[in-house]
Amino acid sequence: MNSLRADLSIAVGGLNLETPVVIASGVWPYDPVLWSPERLEGVGALCTKAVSLQPREGNRGVRVWETPCGMLNSIGLQNSGVRGFLKEYLPIAGKSGIPFLVNLVMESEREVRENLSILRESGDAIPAVELNISCPNADCDGMAWGISPESAARAAAIARSEWKGPLWVKLTPQAPDLPAVAKAVESEGADALVCGNTWLGMAMDLKRKQPVFRRVTAGLSGPAVFPLALRTVWQVCGAVSIPVVGCGGVSRWEDAAAMILAGASAVEVGSSLFADFDLPRKISEGLADYLADAEIPNLAGLVGLGRKEKEGGRPWAQD
Amino acid sequence: MSCGGGSPRDYTAAVLGHRPLGDGSGLLAVRCGEIASCAEPGQFVLLRPGTGNDPFLGRPLAVADAAGDVFKVVYRIVGRGTALLASKRQGDPVTVRGPIGRGFFSARGEKPLPRKVILAGGAVGAAPLLFAARRLGLSRIEKTVMGVAGKGWEGFAEWLKEAFPGVDLFSGDGTLGTKGTVLAGLPGTLPADSELWACGPQAMLSAIAAHYPRDGGRILAALESRMACGMGGCLGCVIPTVSGNRRVCVDGPVFTAEEVMWNELSSC
Repeated sequence: MNSLRADLSIAVGGLNLETPVVIASGVWPYDPVLWSPERLEGVGALCTKAVSLQPREGNRGVRVWETPCGMLNSIGLQNSGVRGFLKEYLPIAGKSGIPFLVNLVMESEREVRENLSILRESGDAIPAVELNISCPNADCDGMAWGISPESAARAAAIARSEWKGPLWVKLTPQAPDLPAVAKAVESEGADALVCGNTWLGMAMDLKRKQPVFRRVTAGLSGPAVFPLALRTVWQVCGAVSIPVVGCGGVSRWEDAAAMILAGASAVEVGSSLFADFDLPRKISEGLADYLADAEIPNLAGLVGLGRKEKEGGRPWAQD
Repeated sequence: MSCGGGSPRDYTAAVLGHRPLGDGSGLLAVRCGEIASCAEPGQFVLLRPGTGNDPFLGRPLAVADAAGDVFKVVYRIVGRGTALLASKRQGDPVTVRGPIGRGFFSARGEKPLPRKVILAGGAVGAAPLLFAARRLGLSRIEKTVMGVAGKGWEGFAEWLKEAFPGVDLFSGDGTLGTKGTVLAGLPGTLPADSELWACGPQAMLSAIAAHYPRDGGRILAALESRMACGMGGCLGCVIPTVSGNRRVCVDGPVFTAEEVMWNELSSC
């Protein structure tokens, strides 16, 4: 990306990103061709598909369902487990030269402790970890770890104690008080927050007269959720001091700019890559042009610019 | 052409021609040299009727033919996305990701081509078999059997007869060709030096797989699945196989019949 009209590099939660465009977990396959620099133009970092301690087969039945300007998914975190990841996929991920984060499933304390201790054996080959706290808490009531500030803080504390490298924590928008969760995770030493994840939805199959998905609910993503995600980014950025990575419905450079103006240091793109492989390059070029036209010298100058006090010195209302 | 190192790419392409086949089906010709020159029979594209966010996902459509810089697909309206595709006219832009997946020839590995191939297609499953027939050559095709529901498929049946000279046509209600399923038109046994290449509804493929003993000729089946990414990433399209979950988009869509756990396939 040498041809960009502005410097998009930014430090986020222990990683130095060449651009603020991060590929979200769950979308990019371990296809060596797709991990080549040529196919990753404009990408600042990648999150791997979710990695659990043991291999997981994922969900049965329908796994994806199109919705207006978006989609529902109920994949069920299918993956070959941390050992499988290290053996088969780490060599592919490591060759791209672009920083990546291992997205870690957390169902129980034991799972995340063991998982991180296994990842530690690889030393510097793992640049960073993104902890997914959207999974049900198997130790407690089955509610997602990220729903309450207390359990989210517990999850972050465990991961922090086992992983000294860069640690991003991916929040769930299902939390009733997301700013409180964000603060709790920040206080346990996370390096950055990813805000957020898919939005719980469902679909009904009119032909069969029953829910489309066997688990009934599924995660909504795509441009349809962008305004919801932007609102949570605004709220979370108002609550914490560590970097926030906006995630949800980003499908154009304008969406990325909006999240960065709201206070995000970077954005994740996910399902919109299903419509356009080239989205990271287009977002990066669009952001660079936007900065250059506004004569803002670097990306950091755009972060949170949209939060500046209104004329007359009155702060923006928080709700 | 490098053909993307085997991984698909995205293109904005123009519709070159649209031939309605009646009753909500049709043949779309799309000008996209990169896909036309790289596609093999059995591979497919994700086609979106426009360049915006709605519909959000491409429709998986098998390549029905490819020559020069033009490839063709066959559609049948099943929902909003295919209805929008059906409204496309010459010059309209479409978004295409492709070519995607493992085709009939790749799925066979290094084995030399069999002496004889039987083609069995159900409904729009005929599409990749047309492309396969062109590449195999007439002399290698032992028999072509196609099935449609019946009433409402008259135009499509006419196209089948034109596209596959000498086709044995079956219909469920008996209004087109012979009454019965594709299975009724297939031979009782498959000689070991022949192969059966099939594409169509899951029920048809399951029935074919169940019909023949494993020690005969090989059966190659092109499967369908709901899918999102078309690059092997989202794992939305997996099917159960003897070696675990496999992705219809990039591990398939063509599988050998003995790979697939037919009894465990979900019914959509």
